Amino acid sequence: MSMFNKIPRWNLTLFVLIVAEIIVFGMMNPRFWNVTILLNSFNDFIALAIIGFFVTLVVITGGIDISGVSIIGLTSVVTGLLSQVAGINIWISIFCAILIGGLCGLLNGVLIAYGRVQAMVMTLGGMLLYRGIAIVLVGLSGVSTYEGISGFSEGFGQIANGEVMGIPHAVLLFIIMFLIAYILLHRTRYGRYIYLTGINQNTAEYSGINTKKIIASTYVLSGLSAGIAGVVLTSYLGSARSDYGSEYLMPILTVVVLGGTFITGGKGGVVGTALASIILGFMQVGLQMAGVSTQYIGLATGVLLIVSVAFLGINSEFRFNMKRILPQKQNIGG
Amino acid sequence: MGRLKSIKLLILVAIATLFIAACGADKGASVDGKKKDDKDIQVVFIPKMTGNAFFESGNNGAQEMAKKVGFKVKYDGAPEGTVANQVQIINSAVNSGADAIAISSVSSDGLNQALKKALAAGVKVVTWDSDVDPKYRSVYVNQGTPEILGKMLVDMAAGQMDKPDDAKKIAWFYSSPTVPDQNSWVNYANKYIKEKYPKWEVVTTQFGDANEQKSLQVGGSILDSYPDIDAVICPDSTALPAMAQAAENKGLKAGDVIITGFASPNSMRQFIENGTINNHGLWDVKDQGALAVYVAYWLAKGNNLKVGDSIEVPDMGSVKVEPNTIQGYDYTADDSGIIVLPERIVFTKDNTKDYNF
Repeated sequence: MSMFNKIPRWNLTLFVLIVAEIIVFGMMNPRFWNVTILLNSFNDFIALAIIGFFVTLVVITGGIDISGVSIIGLTSVVTGLLSQVAGINIWISIFCAILIGGLCGLLNGVLIAYGRVQAMVMTLGGMLLYRGIAIVLVGLSGVSTYEGISGFSEGFGQIANGEVMGIPHAVLLFIIMFLIAYILLHRTRYGRYIYLTGINQNTAEYSGINTKKIIASTYVLSGLSAGIAGVVLTSYLGSARSDYGSEYLMPILTVVVLGGTFITGGKGGVVGTALASIILGFMQVGLQMAGVSTQYIGLATGVLLIVSVAFLGINSEFRFNMKRILPQKQNIGG
Repeated sequence: MGRLKSIKLLILVAIATLFIAACGADKGASVDGKKKDDKDIQVVFIPKMTGNAFFESGNNGAQEMAKKVGFKVKYDGAPEGTVANQVQIINSAVNSGADAIAISSVSSDGLNQALKKALAAGVKVVTWDSDVDPKYRSVYVNQGTPEILGKMLVDMAAGQMDKPDDAKKIAWFYSSPTVPDQNSWVNYANKYIKEKYPKWEVVTTQFGDANEQKSLQVGGSILDSYPDIDAVICPDSTALPAMAQAAENKGLKAGDVIITGFASPNSMRQFIENGTINNHGLWDVKDQGALAVYVAYWLAKGNNLKVGDSIEVPDMGSVKVEPNTIQGYDYTADDSGIIVLPERIVFTKDNTKDYNF
């Protein structure tokens, strides 16, 4: 019961935070109220939002996936190598690259769900492995890891940089990926199974849910989303590099946790993740526009995360725990 | 019931936000039209990464210049020098209404899209230290052409040898095989060696990827693999201190193997003082930062750049805008040129204490 009450209320809090950001940053620099600027800023956090949506699914099953940051680099390099070095059609290259992202996710998922490897250990290994593969691939092709592969067509650049009726593709992509994740998680039986697996895997298993399959599939989705993010980032930045995404590790976990998804699994949702990624993205732009140097923005993010998680904690459960502590103290006193 | 109320409130707030945003959009547009005073001109000074002595010193120079002339400089970089971070910083500089940016680019082509947007928004683009595609910037404040710096590297090593005309074994050690600036210096230096010291042999060229740990390993392996090496030249601010550290770890002194290259004096002073190296060089990065932001400010004020003309810079005198061809570019245009820093410095035991960057 409390799950259904609490999550929407948390989303409301996040929404109010976004509004507060828009008002406060706008007062500091009125240009922040320019809709075009706000919409274009989606470009700078779209990759981490896309991954965040599907890592949310993983986290709800009780797992975690940190390998996405390396899958970005790997798919970026694969896209570049296939299209620019091997000369394969760009759209086929993109398809293959995303597929490889999915395969990486499959490897994670199978070993975690069926091999009983701890999710953190497995995806940490995956993170190092996929980054390594990306660097080796770049090395084999004779291109330096320092420079990246460039020379993409204008059409490919349009994937991230184009716009439809004044709305940047990044915003549309954000909405599409959000809807896919939302429908999967909140509107299908599959989504219900994800929650049930996360709440109690044994119970779910005994009720006839193939929980291993469910768990493995969430990692595949997460891998595919990282592949998409890698392609989008390559298109946005105009060259393929193995180090793309390396700075997203903490932001991805931040948007999932700030979005109200419990790291222990069973509770959460992608609406929160979507709102949290907008909060994070707007905060970056807003603080920069207010004159704060980029290197100090991590500090603000940290404060926001701790304060919000503390707020998340101050709910019925927290009060219940406090009640349990307080009478004990009285007993000791008496 | 409570849920329904929340949804109603949500919708209400959403409408209010859109309304505010719509009002704001008009306001944003009207700010632009006015002519700007000096103190309203804002230049965003962007390093490859923050927390590196070289770039912090560049910023010190930039800030001093800004204070002297009376315009604003914002130092904005991310701790990780990645393309995505630099693109984000350029975007937000443009969005926040900066008039010009002065950037040391981490990639020769990764910033093109972002710079194109910046130029379209009327923001002036100046590069310093590390250049981008010349189509996407007005001026590159260059530490030296390949000829100047390549010759300087070889001369710093040769000057320490008793008989530089004899057969010598030397090694190159810098960041990466395709980094544009360092490769252009080394290419010219190799040509210069062939002409002036034909008996020298370049036994190896190694790369440290601007990574401190990797550079230390590579430095050690050069000394292990070529125990009879005469000189290692490191034109990279990460490779040189790492190379010197590797030599110090093995107990080698400047008399055993000559190590020289480019790095900031603060990062090399301990090695000069304990005798691991005799000299190394660099340009005055404070001057470079100051010059970069001044040129950016000068352009933002509405001055027209013309290749071949000179710009008067406070305390530095007049600097000449050279064509892009001096750096080996094919692209030339009247409004795209290079300013070469007037001087470079060789640091030795005698003068290293006079510099703080």
